[in-house]
This record gives sequence, C-alpha cells and structure tokens, in this order.
Amino acid sequence: MNDLDPIIHAQGRLRITAALATLHTDESIAFPRLQELLAMTAGNLSTHVRKLEDAGYVDVQKTHRGRTPITYLALTKQGRRAFEDYTETLRSFLGGQP
Amino acid sequence: MTPHTPASDPDDDLDPAAALDLVDRQQEEIERRMVAGLPLILGSWGVAWGVGFTMLWLIDGLAPGFRMPLPIAVVTFIVLMAGALAVSGIVGARMGRGIRGGAAAAWTGTVFGLAWPIGFIALLALGNALIVNGMPPELANIYYPTASVMLVGFMYILAGGIWQNWQSIAMGGWILLVACVAPFFGYPTHYLVFAIAGGGVFLVGTVFTAVWIRSGHGGAALWTSR
Repeated sequence: MNDLDPIIHAQGRLRITAALATLHTDESIAFPRLQELLAMTAGNLSTHVRKLEDAGYVDVQKTHRGRTPITYLALTKQGRRAFEDYTETLRSFLGGQP
Repeated sequence: MTPHTPASDPDDDLDPAAALDLVDRQQEEIERRMVAGLPLILGSWGVAWGVGFTMLWLIDGLAPGFRMPLPIAVVTFIVLMAGALAVSGIVGARMGRGIRGGAAAAWTGTVFGLAWPIGFIALLALGNALIVNGMPPELANIYYPTASVMLVGFMYILAGGIWQNWQSIAMGGWILLVACVAPFFGYPTHYLVFAIAGGGVFLVGTVFTAVWIRSGHGGAALWTSR
C-alpha cells in the first residue's frame, strides 16, 4: 500500500504532472507552452505525455487554430486524484520517519 | 519505514523527500514563469502615473517660475496611459498564451474586462452632468482624475477578490485611499499626490514581483495564493 505510483514517480513525468496540477480543473495548456515552461525537448515531453495518457492521467486534445494544429494537455480527474494520492503518500513517508 | 521505490524507469532515482521537493519547486517555478511579464505591466503603469501626473502638475505646480504648456502635458499624459494599456494588453496576452480556460473563467474575464471601459464612461458621464449643473473647471480638474483613480483602486480590489490575490487587494485599497486623500490637497497638488503615491505603489509592485520572479524560493509564499 506504500508503493508510489510508478507512472508519476519518475522525474520527467513528475514534473509534467506537477506542472499540469497548477492549472485549474477546467484549464488546459498547449503542448509548446508546456514544453517551454518545463524546458524539455519535444520528444522527451511527448514520450512522457504518451505514458501519462495511456494511464488515463492526461487528456490530450488535438484541435486547430486556423490551419495550425494545436495539442492541448490537461490532467484528467483520475490524473489529478493520482497526483494528490502520490503527494499524500510522499508526505506520509516523510511524516513516518523519525 | 523504508519506502519502496519501484525501479521501472531509468531516471527514477527519487527518494520521497527529493520527489516532494521536486513537486514544490516545479509548481513554484511554473507559477513564477506564468507571471513573468507582470513587472513590465506594473512598471509601465508606474511610469505612466508617475510621469503623466507629474506633467499635469507642472502645468501650474511651479507657477509662476515655470509653466508646462497645457497641450504638451495633456498629450504626454494620454500617450503614457495609452502606452501602458498597450503594454498590458500585449504582455498580458503573452503571459496567457497557450492556456485554454474554461467557460467560467472566460465569462469572468470578459465581464471584468468590460467593466473597465463601462466604469470610465459612467464617470465621464457623471462629470459632464456635474459641469452642466454648474461645476466650475477647477473642480472638474479635481473630479476627473480622482474619480478615475477611485475606479482603478476599486477594480484592483475586485480583481484580488476574483483571482484570490491579496497583493492586488492591498494595492487597490492603497489606490482608493490615495483617491480619498488627494483631493484635500487641492489643485494642482493633487496631481503630485497621484504621481508619487499612486505611481509609487505600481513601482513597489514592480520591484516586489520582479524580485519574486527572479528569486528561486522565499517570496513564493507571499505571492502565490492557490
């Protein structure tokens, strides 16, 4: 029961999840903006996002502005819950240490 | 208790303390980067108020030794205010780029945005009505800037309420106080009060936000609210 969620517990995905968690529940962020905020390469970001999407933690919406395709990312309800559980688990670990 | 850390990922060497620290630092970093343009916006208003109102004060403030020509003072004032408005629009849009808000946030933003011009039109209408009813020009010189500054203070308080930011409420409260006090100094000294106490609070805000954005830790708890 003390296991940390392996989907979130990896530096890259943890940073992405933490960043997405700062958005309001009805907000989403364009892929390039998140890439810039996190200073990650596009390849690195999309690899991690795919894992998060496969786990149902991140919602990926492809849309268009004019002719330019834009991808918007947001945490799903499940993803937000998983992130909260994850940080709670971390705190309980730390609280449990002498 | 030794936490079990699954080793399923190559970059997964985080112990709980490091992971929690990473979460905190990352979220703080995002919040700082999101408002990176704020010092520029506040700074442009600080300059517009500071220099703009000083120009209006100089029309009669140092008379008879020096008189700033009225057209120069008024045009400078208008250009500076329009410039700060443009900076706010451009930098504000840049800060919000790539963020898609929900319908509720869009509604709030639109209503709050439209309340500005509506408020200014209403206070201009009241001023004209007062002039029609015999308000002398000397009083109009007091009324228009004071009513405008009052509206700004009020809107900053509202903004702080909507977006839960106590710094905005404090700034708005201070600006409202300045609007209440300045008229007692009379024409033209009230312009100088707006320049120093009004422009000053924007410059304080500029320094405060700039320091927080540049510093890694410390000021974050002061500025973030959610």
